[in-house]
Amino acid sequence: MTSSSSSEGPLSLLRITVRRATVSGRFFLVYGTGISVLLGVTLAAFSGSNSFPSAFPLFLPIFGVVGSMGGLVVFSNDRTKGVLEYLIAYGVSPRRLFANVLITSLVLASIVVSVAIGVGVGVYVAKGHGVSSYLALALGIYAIPMTLASAAFAATVGVYWTALSSPRQGLNSPIGLVPFVGILPALATLGTLVGLGLSGKSSTEVFLIVLGTAFGLIAIVVLVLLGMIGRLLRRERLLSPA
Amino acid sequence: MDAKLWASGLEAPRPIDGAEIVCRSVTAGYLGSQVLHEVSFTIDEPSVYVVLGPNGAGKTTLFRTLAGILQPYQGEVLVGGEPVDRQTSRDRLHYLSHVDGMPDGLRVREALEFYARVERATDSDVERVLDQLEIRELSGRFMARLSAGQRKRVSIARVFLRERSIYLLDEPTTGLDPKVAREIRALILRLSHDRIVLYSSHNLFEAREIGRYVLAIKAGRLALFDRIENIRSSRFVLGIRVLEPSDALAGFEREGEYFLKELPGPEQVPALLGDLMSRGVKIREAREMENPLEGLFT
Repeated sequence: MTSSSSSEGPLSLLRITVRRATVSGRFFLVYGTGISVLLGVTLAAFSGSNSFPSAFPLFLPIFGVVGSMGGLVVFSNDRTKGVLEYLIAYGVSPRRLFANVLITSLVLASIVVSVAIGVGVGVYVAKGHGVSSYLALALGIYAIPMTLASAAFAATVGVYWTALSSPRQGLNSPIGLVPFVGILPALATLGTLVGLGLSGKSSTEVFLIVLGTAFGLIAIVVLVLLGMIGRLLRRERLLSPA
Repeated sequence: MDAKLWASGLEAPRPIDGAEIVCRSVTAGYLGSQVLHEVSFTIDEPSVYVVLGPNGAGKTTLFRTLAGILQPYQGEVLVGGEPVDRQTSRDRLHYLSHVDGMPDGLRVREALEFYARVERATDSDVERVLDQLEIRELSGRFMARLSAGQRKRVSIARVFLRERSIYLLDEPTTGLDPKVAREIRALILRLSHDRIVLYSSHNLFEAREIGRYVLAIKAGRLALFDRIENIRSSRFVLGIRVLEPSDALAGFEREGEYFLKELPGPEQVPALLGDLMSRGVKIREAREMENPLEGLFT
C-alpha cells in the first residue's frame, strides 16, 4: 500500500493475510507443526539424552518451511482469483504484496518452530534432562534462524515461481514443489557442516562461519529479489487470466 | 434490493468532483505484446458508457489500463488531470474486474471488511452493503462455498463500500440471475446521474437499456465512440405483436409471435402503426427487432 493510504491499511492487510494463510494453508501448518512436535516428543521421550539435542534442531527448518507455505497459498489463490489485481488498482504495490507474503511466511514458520521447541524441549526437560549449552546453541543460532531464513527463501522463490508460471494446481505447482526448494539451503548448510565434521575440521568457529555464510547468502538472495521485484515481476504477471 | 444507492443517514452523492478520464494515444498490453493500439478519448460527462467489442478485442485490457493496473507502453491515462497511477487518481476510481476478486479463506463479511480496510471504508459501510445487495444471509459463509452468482453479488457489494467519481465495471452482471441483474442495473443507472460509469457487457439489450454512450473496441482500436441513439442498424426491421390475427398483416414475414416489416428507418414507424390501427389491427407491442449494437461485433 502506498504511503498515502491510512496507517491502518498496510497493518490490516498483513494481519488479514496471516489469518487467511492459517486458514488456506492449514494443511501445511498442521502438518509442519504436527510432524515437528511428534519428532521432538519422540526424541525427547524415547531416545537417549544425546539424541534430542543433536537431531531435533537439525530437522526443524524442514518442517518450518513446510508449515510456512500458507503465505504462498494465499498469494497463488489471490493471483488466480483476481485479488492481486484489485489490490494493485487500489494502490498496493507489487513490492508490498511480496513483502506481505514474506512476512506471513515468517510468522507461520515462527509458529511451527515455537510450538515444536516449546513442546519438544518441555518434554525433554520433563524427562529429567537439562538444557545444555549445546542444545541452546543449536536451537538459538541454527534451528530458529535457519528455519526463518529457509522460510524466507522459500517464500521468495515461490512468489517468483508462481508469478512467472501459468496458474496450475497440484503437486506440479509451485506450492507443491517449493517446499523441496525451500529446504535446500538448510540441507546444503547441514551437508557442509557434516562434511567438515567428518573431515575433522569441525569447531565452533567453523560452525559459526558456515552458518554466517549461509544466512548471508540467503539474505542477499531474498533482498536482491525483493529489490528487483519492480523490474522482474511486471504487474501483468500478477493478474488473473483475462 | 433497495434501488436507493446510499442508505439514509449517509451523505448524498456529491457532484462529480472534476473527475474526467483522458485516454491519450494509449498503447498497452501484456509483457510487450500490444493489445490496445493508439486509443484516445475523453470522458467528462456523468453517464453510462458501454464498452463493446468481440472477445479478445481488448475490453479488459482497456479497463485494466484505465484502472492503472497496466502501464501503457505509449500514451497516458489522466484522471482528473493527473496520471492514473497517482494515489489521488486511484482514489477516484472503482474497478470491478470480470473475475470476482474475492479472497478465499474468509467469510463474506470478513472479505468485505478486508476490502473496507484497503479502501479505508468503515464497518458501517460493510453493514450497509450487506443490506443493499441483500447478501446479509450469506455474511457468515465462506467465499469458497458460494455459487458463482453469489460471489459476483459480493464482489459488486465491494464496489459500493465507498463513493467514487468513476466506476469501471467489467461485465458486472455476467453470471447473475435476471432479477439481480436488473437490480444491479438500477443501481448503476442511479450511480450514473452524477458519476462516470464505464460498463462492458456482451448483452446488447442490456447495453442498450443502460448505456447512453458506446465505445466500440475492435482489434484493440477504438472503432466508435458515440451516443447509442446515433447508432443505426444497416436495416431497420420493425416487429409487431398483435392481440389477434388480422388480414392486414398478410404480407408480413413471421418470426415467432412477431410480424416483421423492414422500413427505411424509424421515422416511418408512426405512419405504419397508424395505418395498421386504422385497418383494425390491435397492436400489443412494436419493437425494433435488430439491435443496432450488433453491428459493432462484426
